[in-house]
Amino acid sequence: MSVKKIDSPEFQDAIKSGVSVVDFNATWCGPCKMLAPVLESLSEEMAGKAAFYAMDVDDNPDIAQQFGIASIPYVAVFKDGQKVDEQVGFVPQPQLKAFVERNL
Amino acid sequence: MGKRYDVAIIGTGPAGVSAAITATVRNKSVLLLGSASVSDKVSKAHMIQNYPGLPDIPGQELAQHFLDHLKKMEIPITDRKVTMIYAMGDYFSLQIDQEFVEASAVILAIGVSFGKPFPGEDENLGRGVSYCATCDAALYRGKEAVVVGYAPKEEADVRFLAEMAQKVTYIPVYKKEDAAAMAPELFPDRPNVEVKQVKPLGIEKRDGRMVLATDGGEISADGIFLLRESVSPGKLVPGLELDGNHVKVDRKMATNLPGLFAAGDITGTPYQYVKSAGEGNVAALSAVSWIDSLKK
Repeated sequence: MSVKKIDSPEFQDAIKSGVSVVDFNATWCGPCKMLAPVLESLSEEMAGKAAFYAMDVDDNPDIAQQFGIASIPYVAVFKDGQKVDEQVGFVPQPQLKAFVERNL
Repeated sequence: MGKRYDVAIIGTGPAGVSAAITATVRNKSVLLLGSASVSDKVSKAHMIQNYPGLPDIPGQELAQHFLDHLKKMEIPITDRKVTMIYAMGDYFSLQIDQEFVEASAVILAIGVSFGKPFPGEDENLGRGVSYCATCDAALYRGKEAVVVGYAPKEEADVRFLAEMAQKVTYIPVYKKEDAAAMAPELFPDRPNVEVKQVKPLGIEKRDGRMVLATDGGEISADGIFLLRESVSPGKLVPGLELDGNHVKVDRKMATNLPGLFAAGDITGTPYQYVKSAGEGNVAALSAVSWIDSLKK
């Protein structure tokens, strides 16, 4: 598994079943660049448990607006289409793993 | 700065200087970041009576000894501000302005000069409160922002933010003059910037808006940017475990993040120069062991 880049038309379909982790980011955001490889590595580690997606907030302002995102990176966990948790800012891999796991 | 340093040391007080010396003795490549004239807290001390070998030494003289020692060992001080430290697993990425530098180990020796957060600040961080205008500016396109700046260099960030935001209220806490008159002079090409000379007191989220309480009344906006000189260690290093206002360390000066060590006042009392120097030495030796274990 790896992190799949998606845009708003695919969003609802992507999160509708199971546990999905969505990383909202932007190309100009330093902490997002640092978080990307951490998420990539975590998606391998948690393959089969959660699906990982990445979304550019500049390309998808509608979704960013919908979740009231004021700061990025913003990582949200969805369970069967419902947002169950969020995490703002960079976090090291062990902490990010714990964050996803407690929402499984 | 493309290479990866063995160890990045942040802070040029006794802990940072001591760590840099020991790491260099142990043949590690060192990036020492901090004030080029070493920490103010050393040079401003009136008299230090318990530094072995240097009885009754004025702080300014001790600072000079530190500088001489670094010079003799050819350890340069890089006088730049680290805004974030990212634990990437087997290395660290340090954000210095808009640049990233890598190091295998990090020693945090930044002292305890950071102030207390405002009421409501921690709860709303990332949810309307931000520490980085250049990072989050694009999210404020067509919106209103309040910026609290602690140094004149933040004025550049205000200009940048005002390019995107509909309105920016700037509170320069470092200025004494009449602020209202300053806006046209400070931001001649940004008519959407209003400068206010007030004292921020607290932050609250109300009806989806951020409200900054000040001694001159409330200011409401979509977001509040706090641009400080120094941030608390937990915000500088995401994921770092704290013990109250200090960084939690063990006897090896190791933190909860593998490869990241802390030394000096930042680890807790007593706030003594000689204790800091000792901890810097321990932290450096622990960092050396960590670096060697990575190479195996």
